[in-house]
Amino acid sequence: MRQYQPRETAPERKQLFWTTLLVAAACAPLVRYLDAPITAFLVLIIAIRLAALRWPVVRPNRWLRALLAFAGLVNCLAAYHTVSGQDGGAALLVTMIVLKLLELDTKRDLRLVLILLGFLSVVQFLFDDSFALTLYLGVIALALVTLLAELNGGLDAAGLRPALRISVRLALQAIPLTLVLFILFPRLTAPLWSLGFDNTQGMMGMSDTMEPGNISELVVNGDLAFRVRFLGQQPPAAQQRYWRGLVLWQMDGRRWTLGTPPASATTVAPLIEAADPIEYEIVMEPSNQRWLFALDRPLNAPDAATLTADHQLLANQPITELKRYRVQSALRYRTAEPTAAERALALAVPDNITPRMRALVAEWRSAEPADDWALVERALAHFNQQDFYYTLLPPKLGANPADEFLFETRSGFCEHYASSFALLMRVAGIPARIVLGYLGGEVNQFGDYTIVYQSDAHAWVEVWIAERGWVRVDPTAAVDPSRIDNQAATELLGAGASVRFDLGETAALASWLRDLRLMSDTLEATWQNWVLDFSAQDQRQLMEQLGLGAWQEYGLAALMVVAVSVTLGAIMLVLLRERREHDPLERLYARLCQRLARIGLPRLPHEGPHDYAQRIAAARPDLAAEVGAWFRLYIPARYGQRHAATTVALLAKRLRAFSFQPSASSHQLNS
Amino acid sequence: MQHHAPTLRSRADRYFDSLLRRVQPGPDGLARIGARQIYIVPTRAGFLYGAVMLVMLLGSLNYQNNLGLLLTFFLASVGLIAMHHAWFNLLGLVVQARGGSPIFAGEQARFEVSVRAAGGRARSDIRARKHDDQPAPIYIAADDQAVIVLTVPTLQRGWQRLTDVRVETRHPLGLFMAWTYVATDAKTLVFPQPAPHAPEPGQDAGDSARPQHTRHEGADEYLGARGYRPGDSIRHIDWKAYARERGLVVKQYGGEHGQAVWIDWAQLAASDPELRLSLLTRQVLDVSASATRFGLRLPDGVEGLAQGTAHTERCLTRLALFGFG
Repeated sequence: MRQYQPRETAPERKQLFWTTLLVAAACAPLVRYLDAPITAFLVLIIAIRLAALRWPVVRPNRWLRALLAFAGLVNCLAAYHTVSGQDGGAALLVTMIVLKLLELDTKRDLRLVLILLGFLSVVQFLFDDSFALTLYLGVIALALVTLLAELNGGLDAAGLRPALRISVRLALQAIPLTLVLFILFPRLTAPLWSLGFDNTQGMMGMSDTMEPGNISELVVNGDLAFRVRFLGQQPPAAQQRYWRGLVLWQMDGRRWTLGTPPASATTVAPLIEAADPIEYEIVMEPSNQRWLFALDRPLNAPDAATLTADHQLLANQPITELKRYRVQSALRYRTAEPTAAERALALAVPDNITPRMRALVAEWRSAEPADDWALVERALAHFNQQDFYYTLLPPKLGANPADEFLFETRSGFCEHYASSFALLMRVAGIPARIVLGYLGGEVNQFGDYTIVYQSDAHAWVEVWIAERGWVRVDPTAAVDPSRIDNQAATELLGAGASVRFDLGETAALASWLRDLRLMSDTLEATWQNWVLDFSAQDQRQLMEQLGLGAWQEYGLAALMVVAVSVTLGAIMLVLLRERREHDPLERLYARLCQRLARIGLPRLPHEGPHDYAQRIAAARPDLAAEVGAWFRLYIPARYGQRHAATTVALLAKRLRAFSFQPSASSHQLNS
Repeated sequence: MQHHAPTLRSRADRYFDSLLRRVQPGPDGLARIGARQIYIVPTRAGFLYGAVMLVMLLGSLNYQNNLGLLLTFFLASVGLIAMHHAWFNLLGLVVQARGGSPIFAGEQARFEVSVRAAGGRARSDIRARKHDDQPAPIYIAADDQAVIVLTVPTLQRGWQRLTDVRVETRHPLGLFMAWTYVATDAKTLVFPQPAPHAPEPGQDAGDSARPQHTRHEGADEYLGARGYRPGDSIRHIDWKAYARERGLVVKQYGGEHGQAVWIDWAQLAASDPELRLSLLTRQVLDVSASATRFGLRLPDGVEGLAQGTAHTERCLTRLALFGFG
């Protein structure tokens, strides 16, 4: 009678347990982005699964499982109202994978869940692309392969250890192949479809308006804004590193906005003079805005961006992913005269200028009737000598912030200073505008680049001075250092996040922490540069370097096929050769045979070690004693039941000690 | 005997069988699996794995997600390497099949397939099978040998040949199945299926001059003891003597010389030769159980009067191979 066993056997309890643990571990990083009800549902199902392993009665029956599946779907819909977006889709995927845990009747079901974990991992990269998550999901992938190997069975022992050995071996062999595929697999230059996944969440950056309070949100944000690598020269001093972003022309009494761009905005106002250009490369984090940042005065626009008349760099598309660009800037320059329209825009004042503001300006003007620059210096001196405080926790301002700040509260930060200063200049008849950007940035000596954080956000003023053009004036910098409120800054920024204030990081621990942070940023930057930012453009460059530029994508695909084949072939060669290296005794014996062959006594193919030893003794009586002793040690070790590691070591030592000389007779034969 | 309609799968297997270059045993009877004799296809899990990889690839490409691509390529590479490992797991195996002890038609014929992990590499998840059965996977340490017992259902008497064995593996991840067919000349003898009942054989029918004896219980008279010879029934071993440490001794029973029975083809009336053989087999079994001396007469020869297990086996072998030359 033929016995038909079921094709798929039921999984063991520990296999179920491991799979459940792995699913929980694979879902864990996603919980940060999921709504609480989704997470609660996942935890509930995993708890039921674990309980059912201990008490099988707990496992829901078919109807209850169907009900739970329905509940899971409703739960996702209730939280996101859709299952097609990034969040909703991920929530549904993770809910369904976890629900499948309740239905693991066969090993095939287990395999299905394990394989789907790969997909779940890829989805997580849409949320987070950090090095840490990649490492974590790499470990998950290894665990997944281990469980697949364990599930297949037929290994030398039960348990995870032999399976882990197999998966590590597979992973090590897969790494070169992975790299070849990663580098050479042709990339798309534009997406084929879009499911409306939103990449904007969590993005923080400059807004295109300035109002008291909105830079301060940035100032307490320790996120990265961009990294800069200066090409071929040292970065300029920190107080020289004004990273220009957008230029605000219009003031409505409370808020600065871009205003209607002057008519000449599309053509670049030339710099009359520009000396010592600095070239650098910026890797900018996604901001979902079009502004690109550049040092002081950019001289050229990178690809897919324009340089406006007021020296803003404007990308053609909002920056939704990492953007890398290269710019030249001048720190010493002279701009051309503004057009009449620009001049009018830069002199417009809102109607809430108070008499005391006018009186203040009139006082300065009467002292400096003709010299605009002297008036600017007077204004700066006013901020310096009066009791103006710099604080990140300024008091709230009412309907006329400029007036209140200048005459009442007298404490604020860059945007208060820049805003009121620019207004005073306009009242004095000096064209002025606000520039938003970043100041300074931290030089990372480990990675040879400069890091600019969101907390480096800054606002300053440009005034137009005859003969000199637009001149940068930073009224915030005029505040007396003794009136800078470090305490508030520390509270807001948190320990270690400060880059703009010298918080007295003199302690060894603090500087060590700072180094650690810089080193980890170096790692992150390298990661970004070589992995996250690798694109079709880099592939084109690679092909050009190889002289295959004309072949385009076809060349890349062909190169990939060739490289994959060669890599696979090399791996197989290693596999085929490695078995001979297994037995240390055999290796020693092979070495001895090799050395004896060199003195004219090669082992004959049919000869066993015993016969060989006898022949050597007969041919070379002078070697008989030491070679004989070696063989007497070797033969029982090789063919006996087992041998000690010390025997192997002794044999190796004696083999090294041998110094075989060709015999006198063979010498004569040769000569 | 329950007949299974050949499934599509087994029919397909047989078709491919004819196209396959099977691994032929060398002059030493050992079949060594070579590189070009191994076939490999993805399993269902393998196809699923590939499909999920494809989705991952398209998604990552579309969203220009390099990390997604990296993970996809890693898992795809692991799959690709696993495929080579499956192939490599069979490569160089040394296979030899042997027939088992004789059985009666309708029982399962046993074959022993010994597999040696030559080449200094251990092998995992090795299975040998003949039909749709699900053999347990085995592990073979480097240069070690393992024996897999295959059972094949039998329908007919004669030699049951194995002709070929399918040696397969799904190592390491169960994503790919690699297999090869090893040709063997292993055979197991199948005795005819004994009929449920058979007429009593004519006693001493060949010699009418001798007086007829009727069989009775007294025929199993104790005759004496002799040393154990291979083939003796264990029922006749004198266990008490063995317990007294006098070695294996066999008690000899039997009637007198005159109590001999001839089992004769010609005495049976059944027209179907297979039915006759079936009846004869029953007679041989019955008579040998009663420990009477007996002989067997077949149209193509005679097995003389004797008794003992070896004699019974000789008679059964004659019946099994009757008419097969």
